[in-house]
Amino acid sequence: MSEKQVNDVRALRTSRFSSILNNFGIYAIAVLFIIFGALLQSVGAINNFLNPKNLLNIVDAVALLGIVAAGMAFVTYSGHYADLSVPTTIALTGIVSVELLKYGFIPAILGALVVGLGVGVVNAVVIGKFKANPIIWTLSMSYVSLGIIRFVWVNKQIYPDMITDDAFAVMLFDNIYRFRLFGVISLPLILMILLVVAGQFLLKKTPFGAQLKLTGSARRTAKFTGVNVEMMVGMAFVICAFTATIAGLAITSLSRVGAWYNGEGYDFRAVTAIVIGGMTLAGGRGSIVGVLGGTIVIGLMNNIMTLLGIGTFSQDIIRGAIFILVVAINAKNLRSMGRDDA
Amino acid sequence: MVGVGKRYPATIAVDNVDFEVYAGEVHALVGENGAGKSTLMKMLAGSFNDYTGAIFVNDREVRLSSPSVAKSYGIGMIYQELSLAQPISIAENLLAGRLPRKGLFIDRDKMVKQAKRLLKTVGLDTLDPLLPIEDISQHEAQLVEIAKVVGTNPCILVMDEPTSALSKEEVERLFEIIGRLRNTGMAIVYISHHLPEIFRIADRVTVMRDAKKVATRNIKDISREEIVQMMVGKSIKEFFQKEAHPIGKPLLEVKNLSRWGFFHHIDMTVHAGEIVGICGLSGAGRSELAQVICGVEKADEGSIVLDGENIGGLSMAKRVMKGLGYLTEDRKLEGLALRLAMDDNILSAMIPQLRHGMIYNNRYGRNMAKKLVKDLSIYPTDLSRTAGNLSGGNQQKLLLAKWMATNPKVLILDEPSRGVDVGAKMTIHDTIERLAKEGSAVIVISSDLPELVRLSDRVLIMRKGHFTRNMEQNELSEESLLLAANTEVGA
Repeated sequence: MSEKQVNDVRALRTSRFSSILNNFGIYAIAVLFIIFGALLQSVGAINNFLNPKNLLNIVDAVALLGIVAAGMAFVTYSGHYADLSVPTTIALTGIVSVELLKYGFIPAILGALVVGLGVGVVNAVVIGKFKANPIIWTLSMSYVSLGIIRFVWVNKQIYPDMITDDAFAVMLFDNIYRFRLFGVISLPLILMILLVVAGQFLLKKTPFGAQLKLTGSARRTAKFTGVNVEMMVGMAFVICAFTATIAGLAITSLSRVGAWYNGEGYDFRAVTAIVIGGMTLAGGRGSIVGVLGGTIVIGLMNNIMTLLGIGTFSQDIIRGAIFILVVAINAKNLRSMGRDDA
Repeated sequence: MVGVGKRYPATIAVDNVDFEVYAGEVHALVGENGAGKSTLMKMLAGSFNDYTGAIFVNDREVRLSSPSVAKSYGIGMIYQELSLAQPISIAENLLAGRLPRKGLFIDRDKMVKQAKRLLKTVGLDTLDPLLPIEDISQHEAQLVEIAKVVGTNPCILVMDEPTSALSKEEVERLFEIIGRLRNTGMAIVYISHHLPEIFRIADRVTVMRDAKKVATRNIKDISREEIVQMMVGKSIKEFFQKEAHPIGKPLLEVKNLSRWGFFHHIDMTVHAGEIVGICGLSGAGRSELAQVICGVEKADEGSIVLDGENIGGLSMAKRVMKGLGYLTEDRKLEGLALRLAMDDNILSAMIPQLRHGMIYNNRYGRNMAKKLVKDLSIYPTDLSRTAGNLSGGNQQKLLLAKWMATNPKVLILDEPSRGVDVGAKMTIHDTIERLAKEGSAVIVISSDLPELVRLSDRVLIMRKGHFTRNMEQNELSEESLLLAANTEVGA
C-alpha cells in the first residue's frame, strides 16, 4: 500500500468511528445516567432508582415519548424543525376515540386514525405544497384542534365508562396502555419498538429516506434533481401525525379520560429528545435509533430529577437549559466544519 | 504574514505561506479556485482564530482572532458578495456603527453630509444618500461597498474580485480610485481572475497553487503566459482543440414549446453525439427553457420528445429515469447538497434507479461514484467528505459527476464552468466531449463565449425568448456570437 492509500484507509476508519460515536454516543450518555442514578442511590440521595418497579416506570414513560419522537423526527429530518400541533393531535384523537367508543372499540380506533391522519394531510398540503412556515402553521393548527375540542365537547372531559355501557369495549380501551405481554412488556413499548424499527428502516434503507435526506439538506437542490419535494415534506408530516395518533390512544387509555390537555408538553419533550439524539434542526442528519437514545436519556433524567424531589417547574427550566445547550453545541459543530447554516 | 497556515477538517487550505504587502503598493494575488487566496485573506480579516504562523502589521506581531480585532488594526475587506443591508439607506450603510449623533438621535444633516463626502471618493456624488440600497443598481452597490470600507480609513485594503459586477467605465473609475488610494500610502491587496486588470494596476503579483505560494514577482518582470503557467502548473497550449465526432439519430425534439412570458415557439432538435450551444444575454429565457424541458416548470404549449417518446406530461423524476439530465446554473443552491457527503451528492439523481425492491442502498452505486471521482480528478477522493468543504472547481466537477452517474441520453448543462479555475474547466470540457462522443446529446447553455466556441458543433442564438439564429461550427467565433446575441429578431 502506498502512503496515500494508508492515509485514505485511516481517514475512512476515523470517519466510521466518529459516525459510530454519533449514533451511539447518546447511549453512552444513557449508561452514564444509569450509573449516576445508581451512585445517587448508593449514597442515599435517592431511593428506589434501581427498583424494578421504577425501572419499569422509566420504560413506560420512554415508550410514550418514543412513539411521538419517532414520528416527529421525520419532520425534523425533512428540514422543517418540529410539528407543534402534536399535543393537540394527541388530545383530539384521544377524545374522538373515547366519544366513538359507544359504537365499539374498532370504530373508536379507526375514527382516531382518520382524524389524526386528516390533521397530518392538512399539514402536509399547507406546508409541503404551499410552503407555509412549519412552526407558525403547526402552531395555528394546534389552536384549531384545541378550538374544535372545546367547541364540540363544550369544554367537558369525557370518560370511557360514562360514554358506553359496553364493558368489553371499555376494557379493551383500558388495555391499550395496560396490556402487558408476559406481564412485563407493555403494548406502548411494543408499538414504540415497531415504530422505531420501521422508522429507522424507512429513513436509512429506502429510496424515500434517501430523497427525504436530500430534501432536508437542500430543498432546492432536491427539486432540481427530480425529487418530488412537496410529497416528501408532506409524508413527513403525515408520519408525524400518525405516531401522534398512536400516542393519543395510549395516553388517553392511560388517563382514562378524553380531555384537551392530554398531550401537553409532548411537543417540546419530543424536540428535545430528537435534538439530543443527534438529529440537528438543520435537517438531513441523524437517525431514529439516535432519537430513541435521546428519548431514553430524557426519561432517565426526568426520573432522577423526580426522585431527587425537584419540582415540575424546576424540571422544565433544566430541560429548557439542556435543549439550548445542545442546539448551541450543534450550531458550533456545524460552523467549525465550515458550514454556518445551522 | 510569515509561515501562516489554516486547516479545515478535510483539507489544508493554506499551507505555510509567506506573504507581504508594502504601504503604497497594489499587490495582486492570483491563483485557481481553491488555491487558497480567499482563505489567506480571510485570515487577514480575522475570520479564523485558529490559524498557525504569525501576522505582522507595521512590524508588530498581532493576533487577528476576530473581525473586530482585524478592523482595529486598520485592515479593510471588500468581498465579492456584498455585505450591505438591503432595505436601509446608503448613508446608514456607509456609516454603520459610527453614525453621527445629536443627543439621543441621529444627526441627519451631518449623516447626509458625511455620506456625500464618502460617495464622492468613488465618483457617485450624484447619488442621493437617503435612497435604500435595494433601489440602486448592483454596480452602484459595489461602489458604495468600496466607499464604506474606504471610509473606515484602513491602512491595508483587501479587494476580492471587486470588478466582477462592474461595467468597463466603472472598472476604469475603480482603477482611478485604487491609484489614488495607493498614492496616499495605503497597502492594497487585489484578488482577481482577470489577468489584464492585474497588469493594469498591480505593482507586484503573488501566485498561489494548491494552498502554497508559488512566487512573488514584480509585474514588470513577468508575462501573462508565465503567470498562467504558474497558476496551472502546466502549459495551456493543449487547451483549445476540437475533436470531430459522428452525429446520429435525434434524441431530443422540442416543437413549438412556449412558456408565456419567458420563451415562445421554440423548435429544436438535438442529435446523438452532438453538442449544441445556446447563446444569449441573461434574461433571454435560456434557463427557463431548460427548466421546462427537464420538467421543473410546466410548458404552456408544445411538445418534448426524448428518444422517440413524448415526455411532456411526465414529472422530472420520470424524465430523469428516461435519460434526461439538467445541470443547474447555481451549484450551491440548486445543484449540490453542501451539507451531505460526496457520495450522497453523486448518487442523488439516481436514487430511484438504485432501488432494489423496497431497499435503497448506495453501496451499489459506490463503485460508480469512485470511478467518477477518479475520471473527473475530483479532490479530495474520499467519498465521505462533505461537499461544502470542496473548492469551487471541485464542487462543479462533483455536480457534473452527479449527472454523469445517471448516464444521460440528453444532458442540458447550464453554465457548466462558471467561476471555476482553468484546470477544472479543462476537465469539465473534456468530460462533456467524451459524453457526446459516447453517443449522448448535449446542450450547453453558457455566457462564456470561448467555451461555446470550443465545445459546440452549432450554436442557437436566443434573444428575448426566441431562437433567432442557428450558427454552424465554421461560423463560430467570440465576435460573431456576441454580435448575433445582440442583434434584433429578424435582422
